[in-house]
Amino acid sequence: MIRTIGFRLNETDYRISVREEALALDWIRNEAGLKGTKEGCREGDCGACLVLLGGPIQGDQAPEGLSAKSAVEWRSVTSCTLAMGELDGRHVVTIEGLASAGLTPVMEAMLDEGASQCGFCSPGFVLALTGYLVSGARVDPVEAMVAVEGNLCRCTGYGSIRRAAARLAGEFSDLPSGLPERLAILAERRVLPAGLAAAMAVPIAPSGEKGSGEAVARLVIGGGTDYFVRNPDPDPSLAPSFSDKGPRARSIRESSAGGRSAVVLGAAVNATDFFSSPVVREAAPGVERFELDVASPPIRNRATLAGNIVNASPIADMTAMLIALGAELRLSGAAASRTVALEDFFVGYKKTVLAPGEVVESISFPGGWSSFAFEKASKRERLDIATVNCAVAVRMSPDGTIAEARYSAGGVAATPLRLRDAEAAMIGRKPSAALARELGTIAAGAGSPMSDVRGSSTYRKRLLERLAWAACCRLWPELRLEEELLA
Amino acid sequence: MKRNPDSALNVMGKTTYVDDMPEGADMLHAAIVTSPSAHGRFARLDASAALAFAPGVRVIVAADVPGENQLSTSIPDEPMLSTGEWHYRGEVLALVLAPTRSIARKAAALVTIEGREDLPVVVDPREAYAKGAVIMTPRTQRSGDPEAAYGMCDVVVSGRVESGGQEHVYLETQGAIAYPDDSGGVRVLSGTQSPSGVQAIVARILGVPMNLVEVETRRLGGAFGGKEDQASGWAALASLGAVRTGLPVKLYLNRRDDMASTGKRHPYSSDFKIGLKKDGTILAFEADYYQNAGAATDLSPAIIPRTMFHAAGAYHIPNVRATGIMCRTNLVPFTAFRGFGGPQGIFVIECAIDKAARALGMDPAEIQRKNLLSEGDVSHYGMSMDDARAKETFALCMDKARWPELRAGIAAFNAENKAYKRGAAVLPLCFGISFTKIMLNQGGALVHVYNDGSVSVSTGAIEMGQGVGRKIAIVVSRTLGAPLSSVRVESTRTTTVANTVATAASSGADINAMAAQVACIELKKRLVAIAAETLGAEPGSVGIVDGTVTVDGKPSAELSFARLATAAYERRIDLSAHGFYATPGLHYDMKAEHGTPFLYHVYGCAVVTATLDVVRGSYRFDDAFIVHDIAESIDPLVDMGQVEGAFAQGLGWSCLEELKFDASGRLLSDTLSTYKLPDAHFMPRMDVDFFTRPNPKVVANSKAVGEPPLMYGIAGYFAVLDALKAARPDAPSFYDLPMTPEKAMLFLTGDLDGALGREPGR
Repeated sequence: MIRTIGFRLNETDYRISVREEALALDWIRNEAGLKGTKEGCREGDCGACLVLLGGPIQGDQAPEGLSAKSAVEWRSVTSCTLAMGELDGRHVVTIEGLASAGLTPVMEAMLDEGASQCGFCSPGFVLALTGYLVSGARVDPVEAMVAVEGNLCRCTGYGSIRRAAARLAGEFSDLPSGLPERLAILAERRVLPAGLAAAMAVPIAPSGEKGSGEAVARLVIGGGTDYFVRNPDPDPSLAPSFSDKGPRARSIRESSAGGRSAVVLGAAVNATDFFSSPVVREAAPGVERFELDVASPPIRNRATLAGNIVNASPIADMTAMLIALGAELRLSGAAASRTVALEDFFVGYKKTVLAPGEVVESISFPGGWSSFAFEKASKRERLDIATVNCAVAVRMSPDGTIAEARYSAGGVAATPLRLRDAEAAMIGRKPSAALARELGTIAAGAGSPMSDVRGSSTYRKRLLERLAWAACCRLWPELRLEEELLA
Repeated sequence: MKRNPDSALNVMGKTTYVDDMPEGADMLHAAIVTSPSAHGRFARLDASAALAFAPGVRVIVAADVPGENQLSTSIPDEPMLSTGEWHYRGEVLALVLAPTRSIARKAAALVTIEGREDLPVVVDPREAYAKGAVIMTPRTQRSGDPEAAYGMCDVVVSGRVESGGQEHVYLETQGAIAYPDDSGGVRVLSGTQSPSGVQAIVARILGVPMNLVEVETRRLGGAFGGKEDQASGWAALASLGAVRTGLPVKLYLNRRDDMASTGKRHPYSSDFKIGLKKDGTILAFEADYYQNAGAATDLSPAIIPRTMFHAAGAYHIPNVRATGIMCRTNLVPFTAFRGFGGPQGIFVIECAIDKAARALGMDPAEIQRKNLLSEGDVSHYGMSMDDARAKETFALCMDKARWPELRAGIAAFNAENKAYKRGAAVLPLCFGISFTKIMLNQGGALVHVYNDGSVSVSTGAIEMGQGVGRKIAIVVSRTLGAPLSSVRVESTRTTTVANTVATAASSGADINAMAAQVACIELKKRLVAIAAETLGAEPGSVGIVDGTVTVDGKPSAELSFARLATAAYERRIDLSAHGFYATPGLHYDMKAEHGTPFLYHVYGCAVVTATLDVVRGSYRFDDAFIVHDIAESIDPLVDMGQVEGAFAQGLGWSCLEELKFDASGRLLSDTLSTYKLPDAHFMPRMDVDFFTRPNPKVVANSKAVGEPPLMYGIAGYFAVLDALKAARPDAPSFYDLPMTPEKAMLFLTGDLDGALGREPGR
């Protein structure tokens, strides 16, 4: 549906009527006429359409002295899964914005190392690396390559891209941590054209006009990273509402209702928000180790946990983690609100208990876990959908026995599973190879795995067992269970 | 100047591809209607709902073709628009035109098939062969007498090898824009490796002579063979639409359509038998290659001989029989992909060596080393292997990888660890350069020197990221003496250079830079004459180097290249020249299966190491050490990119990329979320050295580089297999590429035992 939005594209402010369900990729290419943003797959898997998205900072995360309103954060996103309606009050930077004053050091590094061959993926890589320098993340060669994990190149074999990234990491290892200072330095050093850098530091006012979907809310879109993959040419009659309705929707806070502390996640919290949250890391120790197992940076920057859940894929990584963490959903409908345990939310393949008009308001899970492990088998380690995944959270007693345990498995049934038998087997026991074996046997008997493009049922059954072993090895590395399990 | 100016446009996002061309308001967008199953018949198509969907929708079917409805360049078995029967899923039944792409796609979904009848489907090449569904007669190359030689062997093993297909995943999908011309013909912007090939097909479809069809290609966003033969159909469909409507038509496939409807690397199923002496000397080798050709002939008859030519890999084997069988199945017509059948052949001999090594209790690398080609060895197809570089590159690579220490380190690691196992493997390379179809080894070039001294070069070469334009510009600059910055390589256009061949077979630079060099030598002769006259010097004493005219090696203050060009123009000298090159010395007797099909071979060697996670069944590649025979590199930056990039594609094919069809012929891995290709994280550290002995056989003493390094990726398969065998030493090996984590896990759990690679009947 048509809606007026206020947004900035590179250095130009727009206040225009757009089809809010239209994809930013199409608008940038066809309406703005900026052809440097490429369509390679239209499903978020190749990064050729990468752009930088600037907008209000996540709730609770504004730097000291700044309100969430005046602070801006920058992330790389795939424009093929980004709706125009999401751009109200946001700023998009494309390759044309970066190249307006000629070659930048990022481009020069790629050129000198021969990191561009056919060139189709090159703008995406330039955006990803530039966005990385803007993001404030630690600058080193390894992290720089993580920043391009959402970008595919079919020509170079990535050797030259690594060399370019390493060179940039060396040149820009000393960037200041505050965004305005960082942008100023990046402008001074020609990574960003001066005008663009100045614009990137300043928030843009949204139009304030409500989306047409707000009233009816038949369709709520989170990050769009799944919805637009399934609907690559969205219907103009679509009237979506977007779950990211301001800072609160992306807030992550601690609550201590009922004696035990809990983490409460707003409906629009995305995977990047989740893994980088100190509150989450405190509640689920070790969870951040698994960030790179999930999607890619540009997808994590958009994909919401609630969206991952409501999409109801039996193989959803975030769902598997959250079941193991004991998550509950707060659902709100026209009449009332209710709370549902995450594992009870799913009632069949891609079917949930969500009533018409009902939406996920927040996700919460208890804190106090001693340790958390996630295991995922997929064809490719990064940016791939799991063949099978599992997650385990444990709370240990002082005597070294397991006081509480949660175990989930995905990819082996029509819905994500919580394996209560496995949990029961763990309670009161000390970790051991024997316990890991037992869990493996229980897990292998769970579900009814199918054969599909991601793997045969036999493979999935074996994975259920082996990932149980692997999770135990990961939870208690000091016991070196591997050697005993494989003996 | 190290930087490639073409790449500068790339990184600034200024490079334009077919989909980036300006679209006038009158342009129509096309979408395809494709077959719903792998084999079937239909009575007619009902387009009424599509036509009613929006104003301006047009539907075009086979009956609208004014010329011959045929895409094949060999056996006429590939109609552009189906005429009542389809033979694979994704075959084009109709073309829908509309004012926008979105409307075209939605309208296309409304075209219904009436009187559909599904027919039996064959997806397996051996089943097709058993049913007599072969394309042309099987071919056999033979040297010596393998049967007799087995009697002299200490060990004879046989086995079966499977290798999967591979999707090109050129980042730019296929497409074309056709503009109707007042002559009744068309001008086409096509994303093709072969503008002349597209020109011929479009002319045939439209029923017009070739001179009414102009095809232009500026550059491609990757191709890898996928746009060699299979870009023609899309250009021809757009052309047909343009001629029928009188309006420009753009047909640009989205990723899913591209993956569903375009050909890929051929899957093969092969049998081998190998015989060796106790010391590892290979005496005899036989192989039968069942090539899954898909539903149409396409390039399969050109691809199967390359498999056979590479049957013996980088080894000298005195007794060889190689039989290639093109099997017709109900899958998308498989086509060219970097390596062109070579990788499939090389994988089989390497499997045979691996299996023989296990039987002999030897390191496979030792068998590899013992049998490497030597100077003057005669191949099983009768070619003398001159300037063989197998032994030198092998030795250099083993030194580079510190092989004895590497092996010992791996053995020690594996003895100490149960949870992780390491493995390593070697891949010696020998790859023949020239089109296997001899007539294709020709190329033309047109060089203009403008009267300001700037230079324009047109050839048949297509720039698709491989840097051929850069190499041609360097050769032109060197030959002509014009500064490199003044040389512009034009888009490839059929009206500028005619009767070109596809930019393929790694020969793009060899052939086209040679042709450009021929033209430049002629132009330089004319320029030198004018310079001599102007400067009052002997022509023999005049040189032109990097924009400067020299006499007896001393720069002339008076005459630069630019001024010389002006002077020549003023004296009414022709400043344009055409060059032509046909690769010399190639001959092949198809009956005897004997001859010299290649101008030369490219050699090299790779060592790849991997670490296996035994609990999870997953693995990571650690290092790749490569010594590659580049001869004198025209542009080392470009060549390094070609070596690393080809290796990545080879490693992807060997281990990661799984092209999966179900029994009904449906492609399951039809998106980038289900078909995974290497990402940066997947790739090992790469350490590449060039072996630089000059190759006097081609331009600038260089060597072709596009395809050969792809084979190095095969070492990845065997490195993982090596690690797997360390975890389960007594389990039988399996030869079923790609080596996915699934296969690795099922091997570890014993579920794969007996599945593949065992000797038939045992």
